Amino acid sequence: MPEINVTPLGAGQDVGRSCILVSIGGKNIMLDCGMHMGYNDDRRFPDFSYITQNGRLTEFLDCVIISHFHLDHCGALPYMSEMVGYDGPIYMTHPTKAICPILLEDFRKITVDKKGETNFFTSQMIKDCMKKVVPLNLHQTVQVDDELEIKAYYAGHVLGAAMVQIKVGLESVVYTGDYNMTPDRHLGAAWIDKCRPDILISESTYATTIRDSKRCRERDFLKKVHETIERGGKVLIPVFALGRAQELCILLETFWERMNLKAPIYFSTGLTEKANHYYKLFITWTNQKIRKTFVQRNMFEFKHIKAFDRSYADNPGPMVVFATPGMLHAGQSLQIFKKWAGNEKNMVIMPGYCVQGTIGHKILNGQKKLEMEGRATLDVKLQVEYMSFSAHADAKGIMQLIRMAEPRNMLLVHGEGAKMEFLKGKIEQEFSIDCYMPANGETVTVKTNPSVPVDISLNLLKREMALGGPLPDPKKPRPMHGTLIMKENSLKLVSSEQALKELGLNEHQLRFTCRVQLQDPHSDADTLHRIYTHLKGLLKGYSIQHLPDGTVMVESIVIKVSSSSEDTNTKVLLLSWSYQDEDLGSYLSNLLKKGLPSGLC
Amino acid sequence: MSESEEDFDNWIIDSLKSYKDLHVFQMEHPINVMDWTSQKTVCTAGSGSSKSEILELCLPPKLFADENKSLCAGRDFTVLHGAFTDRIVSCLQHVPGTRCIVTGDELTSDLQVWDLGGDESDIIRRTGSIKGKSQVSEGGVRMATTPTHPPQILHGSTICDIHLTELNTGTTLYKNESDSAEPLSSLQFLNDRVFLASCCNGDVYIADSRMSASCRLSSPPESLDRCNLWWTNASVGPDLSSCRIISLSATGEAVVSDLRNQKNPRNVVSRAQLNLQTHQCNLDHVMLWWAPELKDCFSVSGFSGEVQIYDTSHWRTELQEVQPLFQHCGHAVSSTLSDRDVPPLVTSHIWHPSSPQTLLSAASDGSVHVWDWVIPSGPEPEQL
Repeated sequence: MPEINVTPLGAGQDVGRSCILVSIGGKNIMLDCGMHMGYNDDRRFPDFSYITQNGRLTEFLDCVIISHFHLDHCGALPYMSEMVGYDGPIYMTHPTKAICPILLEDFRKITVDKKGETNFFTSQMIKDCMKKVVPLNLHQTVQVDDELEIKAYYAGHVLGAAMVQIKVGLESVVYTGDYNMTPDRHLGAAWIDKCRPDILISESTYATTIRDSKRCRERDFLKKVHETIERGGKVLIPVFALGRAQELCILLETFWERMNLKAPIYFSTGLTEKANHYYKLFITWTNQKIRKTFVQRNMFEFKHIKAFDRSYADNPGPMVVFATPGMLHAGQSLQIFKKWAGNEKNMVIMPGYCVQGTIGHKILNGQKKLEMEGRATLDVKLQVEYMSFSAHADAKGIMQLIRMAEPRNMLLVHGEGAKMEFLKGKIEQEFSIDCYMPANGETVTVKTNPSVPVDISLNLLKREMALGGPLPDPKKPRPMHGTLIMKENSLKLVSSEQALKELGLNEHQLRFTCRVQLQDPHSDADTLHRIYTHLKGLLKGYSIQHLPDGTVMVESIVIKVSSSSEDTNTKVLLLSWSYQDEDLGSYLSNLLKKGLPSGLC
Repeated sequence: MSESEEDFDNWIIDSLKSYKDLHVFQMEHPINVMDWTSQKTVCTAGSGSSKSEILELCLPPKLFADENKSLCAGRDFTVLHGAFTDRIVSCLQHVPGTRCIVTGDELTSDLQVWDLGGDESDIIRRTGSIKGKSQVSEGGVRMATTPTHPPQILHGSTICDIHLTELNTGTTLYKNESDSAEPLSSLQFLNDRVFLASCCNGDVYIADSRMSASCRLSSPPESLDRCNLWWTNASVGPDLSSCRIISLSATGEAVVSDLRNQKNPRNVVSRAQLNLQTHQCNLDHVMLWWAPELKDCFSVSGFSGEVQIYDTSHWRTELQEVQPLFQHCGHAVSSTLSDRDVPPLVTSHIWHPSSPQTLLSAASDGSVHVWDWVIPSGPEPEQL
């Protein structure tokens, strides 16, 4: 029976190193190629030796698919393709393709330039890796090869995040990556059609949580900004140009308008152009409301939010500044941070994840003294706020997606088994499907039972009809004879004559013979006649002939009678039929074994 | 922007001043009942069409983070343990000092005993049941517990079928010898032996579980509506004389009484007419609680989409109309129900046992809110 194998190569139960191998219909696919942000050694990358111990990645893998641009889903990509070695196609959506190299380069800079690590991928490797990328559009079916096809669905997690359906023949798998079932100001909710995959592979990092609403996260953000402004402090919001900065700007603009606040809001130069550029490119990936807003006005033409000049940082009085980069590792955000860090009235709001080694990471871990370049130390007196706006599906979201896609099996990756027994039971009860939770390196094998469509020739169907019997019922199986021809990935059932003709083969005759003993105290000729009369009465609609050469023929079946040499009352019937009439031949031999009815003349 | 979204946005902006913390969650099914299992964990039961889901949830860590609250990222509920049951759970009680909960439904007076489990598994397992003593009256069975060893549960649906049962053995330790079949609205321990049995008609009995006869306390004050429904809750103090009883009628009349006067055991201290939507026809979810850590304040829900908090400190003995000190409108304005004409009903709410102004509330649209409210400043209570 065909089967699908799924093996997570990722690193553990906390966030990071998403990498899943799927073998389906003889194809091998790698889903995501993430890195673990918490490690500096080999553990930061997935364990590719699982594959490379048996040969090269390129030979083994048919393709690699990246779900979105977060580094825990794509951070190991240049390492895999350029250092381990993979030359096959890498699929990702257009926004992911645009944003992924920027993030990888940022990350490389921090790791190599700041932390001085060697044995890491280079800028050139990122570029070479990205050359192998094939972009995906939403809902577009892409043929990887003759048999393997993939299709991207909207995942709503970050700009460009996709769920992907992988299909070989009639078997299919859906991989969700990170997704979100609740629309927000920025993105729509994940959507997939009722595609009934054999396996739905879902992330389960948030499977045991019930998520606080986005509005409450926003409320806390406004509250913190407002409180700081009211006490005359300055608020620094380090952002990534393509993240949720736009969303936070819209939020603050509305709030300022409503509360009639006067404190200036600035965003750092370069942010506008970059953001607008990408938003124009990828507007189809945002939610409907943003699309409408964009048509009405430029996203960054705000009444209260003005472009920032570095001299403004020294201005007295309260202000809010959005500045890049988001992890405080370089550039404008770091410069402003240094100026403002010493005043406890000020606040820095970190709206996203920070990589180890960055100032952002240090202050989020509560570090109060920072070593700066040139042995100087910086006292962190300003308030530090962490606010995650990331959108993830929780337990309820997972259930919603299962209801949407109607998978035959469910597979949860990156979770702690013991903590998800209840969810597993809930999925199995509610949807009557199996739910698997493999550990890393552990393979789940799911047997599939795909139905195989076969074309039937019209002639064969007509012949079946002519043979009588009940009309075909789509709900009831019915045996029929024919020859199955497999040709160019299609199957068809034709009559044997047609098969011979199509394949240019000669027909060989194959006959079965059998002897049946019968007690009948008549002459051989009379017995034969009695047989003829018996069969004539039973088999209406069949061609039955009593031939002058002393045989009875029923279709192709020949029946002859001879007497036993020892007892003339014991007749020996000789039956012979061609294999095409096997059913009828067997039927007749069984019938005649029972003897002839006494009333025959 | 639609009207409902605007309402919600306005409320969120107002909430900046009126709440210290606010968390809004959406559950799969509406939560009907909840009880604390520790300072940071709560057990809930919610139901779909035919079965209930029991969940033990850990409250957002951010809510309780004192130091580094600003760096604490945890804003979500964590599902610690869960179970299913084929019955619609209508009451749920955590047994203090144990990892046990007891549940009851509306159809029988049987109780189910569950083990919440520990770190090794996330499944809540049914460990036993207590056979009900009578046909259940409308409204189902009521329960109360008090810290004892071995653990016991007080349960019953009418005055005459109140039993105290030892949880582990099922042994009946006490049976109330009354012939009144009046349905109960609540049971509550006032100390480890004395309990209050409140009836739907407003009668309140005080009884000692060491003696099987119960002593009738008093009837509610004369009310125009003879068929009025009443709910009762007592504040538990160091001794019985400091205990205060609040009774609320379906028409919104509230009476505060105490147990100081031995001759007239139910001594009316003050009364007021609350500003409630008393035309509500479904009164199955009415809840009335004294605030455990906020003197003279009580909360009420189940009449509408709001949870109201009243301060009784300025109430007088003559009936007067009063406004709530605080009103949580979050469920009504954030409703995800498509039909806005049928606003959600608050199905349950509880006070945090030690954080004075933190409450949990749930509504019929599946929303659950955790809120730490701010006592409105100014001499006058907040006007509606």
